[in-house]
Amino acid sequence: MALAFLMPNLIGFLLFTCFPVLLSLWMAFTNWSLRPIQRTEFVGLRNFTDLLGVRTVEGAPAGVGLAGFVVPRSVVLTLYLLAVAVLLAAVVGLFWANVKLWRGSRSGGVIVALLGVVMAVLAVALPAASPDDQGPAMLVRFWFGPGQGVFFSGLVLLLAGLIGMNREDGTWRPGLGMAPAGLLAAAMATLWWLHDPMWTAYTPRDERFWHYFYNTLFLMLSIPVAIAGSLGLALLLNQQLPLGAWRSRRTAMVRVTGVTLCLLLAVLTFGIGLWQGWPNVGLLAALVWAIASLGIAFNIVTFRTIFYLPTFTAGVAVFILWKELYNTEHGPINALIVAAVDGLAYLAGQVGVDMGGLDGGPQWLAHTAWARPAMVIMGVWIAIGGTTMLLYLAALANMPKELLDAAAVDGAGPWQRFRHITWPQLAPTTFFVSVIAIIGGFQGGFEQARVMTEGGPAGSTTTLSYYIFQMLFTDLNLGYAAAVSWVLFVMIFIATAINWTFGKGVEVEA
Amino acid sequence: MGRLLLRFTVLCLLGLLVAAPFVWMVGASFKTHAEVERGGAHIVPERLTLENYPKLLGQIPVRGDEYLDLDFGRWYVNSFFIALATTLLTVLTSAMAAYAFSRLRWKGRDTVFLLYLATMMVPGVVTMIPNFQIMVWFGFVNTYHGLIIPAAFSAFGTFLLRQFMLSIPPSLDEAARIDGASHWRIFWDVVMPLARPGVIALAIITFLAAYQSFFWPLIMLNDSQYFPLSVGLLELDTGYGVQAELVMAAATLTVIPLIVIFVIFQKFLVRGLQLGGVKG
Repeated sequence: MALAFLMPNLIGFLLFTCFPVLLSLWMAFTNWSLRPIQRTEFVGLRNFTDLLGVRTVEGAPAGVGLAGFVVPRSVVLTLYLLAVAVLLAAVVGLFWANVKLWRGSRSGGVIVALLGVVMAVLAVALPAASPDDQGPAMLVRFWFGPGQGVFFSGLVLLLAGLIGMNREDGTWRPGLGMAPAGLLAAAMATLWWLHDPMWTAYTPRDERFWHYFYNTLFLMLSIPVAIAGSLGLALLLNQQLPLGAWRSRRTAMVRVTGVTLCLLLAVLTFGIGLWQGWPNVGLLAALVWAIASLGIAFNIVTFRTIFYLPTFTAGVAVFILWKELYNTEHGPINALIVAAVDGLAYLAGQVGVDMGGLDGGPQWLAHTAWARPAMVIMGVWIAIGGTTMLLYLAALANMPKELLDAAAVDGAGPWQRFRHITWPQLAPTTFFVSVIAIIGGFQGGFEQARVMTEGGPAGSTTTLSYYIFQMLFTDLNLGYAAAVSWVLFVMIFIATAINWTFGKGVEVEA
Repeated sequence: MGRLLLRFTVLCLLGLLVAAPFVWMVGASFKTHAEVERGGAHIVPERLTLENYPKLLGQIPVRGDEYLDLDFGRWYVNSFFIALATTLLTVLTSAMAAYAFSRLRWKGRDTVFLLYLATMMVPGVVTMIPNFQIMVWFGFVNTYHGLIIPAAFSAFGTFLLRQFMLSIPPSLDEAARIDGASHWRIFWDVVMPLARPGVIALAIITFLAAYQSFFWPLIMLNDSQYFPLSVGLLELDTGYGVQAELVMAAATLTVIPLIVIFVIFQKFLVRGLQLGGVKG
């Protein structure tokens, strides 16, 4: 009997989920190809070594200069790999120290935050200090080189350090909790020191993979911003607006009047705008009135709906829309930027300062330094009012009110109440949504890369999932594509394992 | 009163900010070609034209007398057909499997369920590659069923509905069993109506995923008559000499059904998302 109910799903599940997983695992160890002429052979770990390994640069000397000595290059390689291993161990250790609250974990946070500051400052200062053309523009020179990524990594470390420092249940007293942070700093410094000798002697076998891996990580910068924004929106939406019930005749009358009034004002503003020759200002003002009237009618459901729309509609249509928005010549974003800068320059001119003009806005999707940030900004817009916000709303609704009330009675201000009561209670949700977002981030970026940039310019928006697509369709190399997907799986598996080990799980009831 | 007004104003302005790209999109779809080419951030067209939508649904001009060999109306129908068929099959098979996992006792039930849970962790790209090879073997490439059938068996859906069914008190179907109802009767007349919020949530999530799916149809199809909207939009966008105002009109037409569906069913969707963790 059970079989009759289970069978339809089970057959499909075995055929299209279980079997493919096994087949994919097999493919990753073969040279499986869609080219009919090629025979499929077992190649062992070759796909993986081609993907992750390094090879020596042709004609590179056997000895490399390091700290004044000439050492065999294999020594540099060993040291470098060791530093990478220490770095990974330190990251896991940081997690562990903060979850298990080792003694000194808050001081460890200070070290991480300082490391982040040092990285961000060096990222800006080193390119600025290079001798050619000094001027006010030298401070933004980092943006157009590898300094951009280092700068943002520094900011992420600073954020992580601040979160660690603010764990109120942790301790400042020095202890084992500082070790992971110290190791992290040491590993970073070693990697920087070894960078030149290492990469003159060796080169990655698949440079594209590492480039695209970097892109994938870079696009994840939208995650912390979107989570913070989601939390802000959830706090704004947490309580119903005290507008009174529809059932009560008195408040219902007030609300009907409010809705009508706002709609009338919407029509009126748009009309005045058209009549005065300011149709766009009129339209925007009218839209605000229209949203207000919906807000009076349906309370916070209106705003929750609007905020969730980007997530719900995210797809090819929305990416095509953003491609138009980012268009360098006739896109509205650059039109707004140019107008704003012109306005500023005009105001500065009024007080006698010559700001100089701006020849067009950023190149956005057409420039290697702008394409990734453009994707990050779009990612924030898509995710800010999404599922994260809904989960925060559910968590806020489940939170007992007594603590907040007691704190208010004791004279705690809104910020103190958030910082010491709400935020700690939201910690499991924050942890959960971060891990889910990271898992999604590793797999993401395919659609926007395909639709908006075709992975360009110069591969700067190609993520790992788009790389897999390229492997499938330009190289027809299924074996190698499967190997990439399994490397991706290992990263996701680690994120999931961290979630299961450290996350207490979020209990959410609607 | 002042706090309420402040919070309300902030919410309205944020709402406008989030919605602004959509507003610009709709505005651009009513602009003339020359106006779009000239650019600018304005929303209200200087010269309103209603021609873009009929043009899109009819034949799409390139330059002069040439027309693009594209059929937007057909893609629309394709998208709805594929998404509805996938949703129907997914909900049916998931609900039946969920019934077997939550209401029936059989040997190996927990082991099989664990297998379901384990595969939910495997990212889509891993199964995508071998599935494509399987489709080639089956000869499913360039067909509707090649898009529908692989998507119709969801481990996540089984999991979600099982959670819902477990929350329904078993005394109800025990009572039905004592009255002599078969498992089919209990499934259709007792459990399914009670699990309706979960079923609707799963249906919306599946419909959305199928309507928006892009990677899979992109690799499976090269005959434009089978295209769903997602792949069709890309074709339209990269098509030689196609104008941005037509693409914006197409994007508007693609997004509108989603907005309507969301506004109608959001209560169920929000509950489903908050209950079943996150997916979608």
